[in-house]
Parts: sequence; structure tokens; C-alpha cells
Amino acid sequence: MAGVSSQQSVEELPYKLTLKVPFETARQALIASQTLSPDPILKGNELDVTYDAEDTTLLLKFSGISDRVIRVAISNVIDNLKTIVECIDEFDGKKDVLFEEE
Amino acid sequence: MTVDLDKYAKPGKGYYIALGLEGSANKLGVGVIKHNLGQLSTTNRAEVLSNIRDTYITPPGEGFLPRDTARHHRNWVVRVIKKALIEAKIKGTDIDCICFTQGPGMGAPLQSVVVAARTLAQLWDLPLVGVNHCVGHIEMGREITGADNPVVLYVSGGNTQVIAYSKQRYRIFGETLDIAIGNCLDRFARTLKIPNEPAPGYNIEQMAKKGKHLVNLPYTVKGMDLSMSGILAHVEGLAKDMFGKQNKKLVDVESGEPITAEDLCFSLQEILFSMLVEITERAIAHVNSNQVLIVGGVGSNERLQEMMKLMIQDRKNGQIYATDERFCIDNGIMIAHAGLLGYRTGQTNELWNTICTQRFRTDEVFVKWRDD
Repeated sequence: MAGVSSQQSVEELPYKLTLKVPFETARQALIASQTLSPDPILKGNELDVTYDAEDTTLLLKFSGISDRVIRVAISNVIDNLKTIVECIDEFDGKKDVLFEEE
Repeated sequence: MTVDLDKYAKPGKGYYIALGLEGSANKLGVGVIKHNLGQLSTTNRAEVLSNIRDTYITPPGEGFLPRDTARHHRNWVVRVIKKALIEAKIKGTDIDCICFTQGPGMGAPLQSVVVAARTLAQLWDLPLVGVNHCVGHIEMGREITGADNPVVLYVSGGNTQVIAYSKQRYRIFGETLDIAIGNCLDRFARTLKIPNEPAPGYNIEQMAKKGKHLVNLPYTVKGMDLSMSGILAHVEGLAKDMFGKQNKKLVDVESGEPITAEDLCFSLQEILFSMLVEITERAIAHVNSNQVLIVGGVGSNERLQEMMKLMIQDRKNGQIYATDERFCIDNGIMIAHAGLLGYRTGQTNELWNTICTQRFRTDEVFVKWRDD
């Protein structure tokens, strides 16, 4: 589901990684980005994450002090993304639907 | 003078419906509540349309850890929301607002639930309302029991507080200085390897019913506050002596009969609940009230309700109010209810303002919907 690219540069936070997550619509990508972005990043001096929606793609940019820090952050974000995607699958465009027992 | 609760009503709609999401500890709850226009009263009660709960149960001897609890909530949250909508027989278009627990509680579980709340709110273009978990308990307790201005004893796995309302705040009169009462009971259940199903406190309560001998335990009321970690250490020490390698037999001083695990459960409950009764009684005297409302998971303990009743009966027109496990134990409906009261007085949270916090004191909330 995600295209992963990795590059390194010699900044404060040398380890960088970008995730590109495709959605069906631009609105879904925007919703995902706005759902993820409010929560503060713990250990802000060791890790930075930015969330952006570009057309139908959710862009997640991680920079961290080590690859381990980035791995943990990605794992967290993907856990949250699962909830978001499940919500979209079940509820998007179904505001006027009366759900029934399956 | 009463607060106008219909300033933000949708034109032409005679009622409000709120969806509430709770996940501050090991219970995941989703509820749907309905208020009709006008003041809530005995003739205009809030209506519970659905109240679904899924509890994360750990094996005997183990507590629930934040990460695992969050995983449980993430696994179930969408399904439980759907179930709550089905049972309430409502559509997204019927809903006025989505309410969620903003704190206090465990960080990871809270965060796992708010993600679903944020997503659904955006998908269906509905406002979000953040709710203080303790205020949720208080408001639901008041609504279910009809207690209008009680002293509130809030006892659960994470909180132990005696609360009274004054000038638009729920003020804390006394509280635990270390661990919560439910935490104390749960941890003792773990020491004894009692099952966590349906709840560790419930199983202790059942064992305590069979206890006969009161074992001497420390009694630690500190002014209006109480301390429970020392009592826990003491009773755990006794249990380890009795059931550990030492296999030491304890006997009751008066009868010479052996002390059992049931006696320990009984003694622990008696001592903890006596402490609660003492500080509650003092709070009642302070605020000149004669009503006590017990909320929170431990509030479903019948022995606690009985002891509190004995105390309140000695007071003029004294009245005790308690609810059953549907509303005592953490649930989504109380979040929906308290959130809807907030919504009706103009509260909504923008996305940036929906961050959950582990510490969120009861008295931080401005109670706009009351002005008595």
C-alpha cells in the first residue's frame, strides 16, 4: 500500500524516510492527514513528523535521530492509519445509511 | 434561573442525538443518547438509545498494559461504533455531535479512540466535543438517579475522589494521595490470582461475602484525603506469607480459626470502604447536603453501597443514589450525555483542540449547563 523511499542527509536529524499512502479520493487523504496531525510528537528533539495530503496521496515525512526512533514512529502511525482506513471503508459516503445487522 | 440549553438547537428539530466514545482504560464503550428540547427533568429524561461495551480482559494475575489495551480498542472501535448505530436505529444524519473522552486516563488507549472520533467527525461533517471522564460519570449518575445536587463519591480503577458542586465547578473535597481504590482491589486480585472476568473487583466482592474474620489492617485517612498503597502492601504481605513458600498459617485472635483468602478480601473491603464513608460523611457535613451519589466502577460494589447507606440513614432526609453496572462501569453513553450538555451550551472542539491528556482534573471543567 505504501511506496517507501529513504535518503540520508547530514542535518540535526540525519535519518529520514517518506511514506506515500494512496487513498481513493483527495478528501480521504486530507481527512487522514488532519486526523493524524493534532497529536504531539513525543521526544520532539529526537523526531519530527509532518503530515500532508497531495491530491489523493497522504505524505508522511519522518526525520529522526536514529533509524530505531523512526521505526517506532512509523509503527505508531500505521496503527492509527488502520483505524482511519477502516473508518473510511465503513462510513465514508454513508451518512444517510441506516446500518443493519449483517 | 436556569441555563438556556436550546440556544444552539437546529431549527425545526425537536431533539438532539449524540454519539459518545469512551476508551480511557480497559473498557471500550460507544453509546447513543437523545435529549429532547428543553430542560432535562423527571418528565423530560435523557433517552439511552444504545450503550455498547467491549472489555479487554487479561489472564488471572495480569493487569492491562497501555499498549495492549490500545490495540484492543483499535481492533474493535469501528465494529462497536457500528453496533451502537445499529442498535440505536439512527443514521449519521440524525447525529448532532460526536463526543469523546479527552482525559483523564491511559494515554495510548485514549489516543486510539480519538483517532476514530476525528475520522468519523470529518467523514460525516459533524462537530467534536471533548469530555472529561469524571464529569461524564457525574452527569450520567445525576441523570439516571435523579439526584439534583449530591455529594459525589467517584470510585474506580483510576480515580478516587469526593466531589461537590459549587459555582459551576465540580470541586474535589478529598481524594487519594497515591493509588485509586479500584487499582488497590485489582492488584490484590492479581496477588491472589483471581480471574479478571467479568471484573477483578467483582470477584473480590463475591469472595468477601464468604469472609468472617476481620484481619487487622492499617487505616489511613489523612484529613479529607486517603492513602491506600500502604494497606495494599500490608495485605499483599499477609497473602504472600499465607500462600507463598513460607506457607504460614494465620489464625483469628478471638476464635482461633484459620484466616482464609476470603477473610483477607472481606477485611480489605471493610477497611477501604470505611475510609471512604468517613471522608464522604465529612464532605456532606461541609456542604450541608443530604444526598450521596456513588459513581465509577467500584460504585457497583453492593457492600460499599450498603455501608454508605448506613451512614446516610443517620442524617435527616439522607438519600443514597447509585447506578448499576451499565452506567457505573465506564461506558460510552455517559460521554455522549455529558458531551451533549456541553454541546447544548456551545462547546465544540476544533481538530487541533482534540488532543487527549492523561491528566485532566475534574475541577478544570467549567460546568456551563448548571448555574445553581
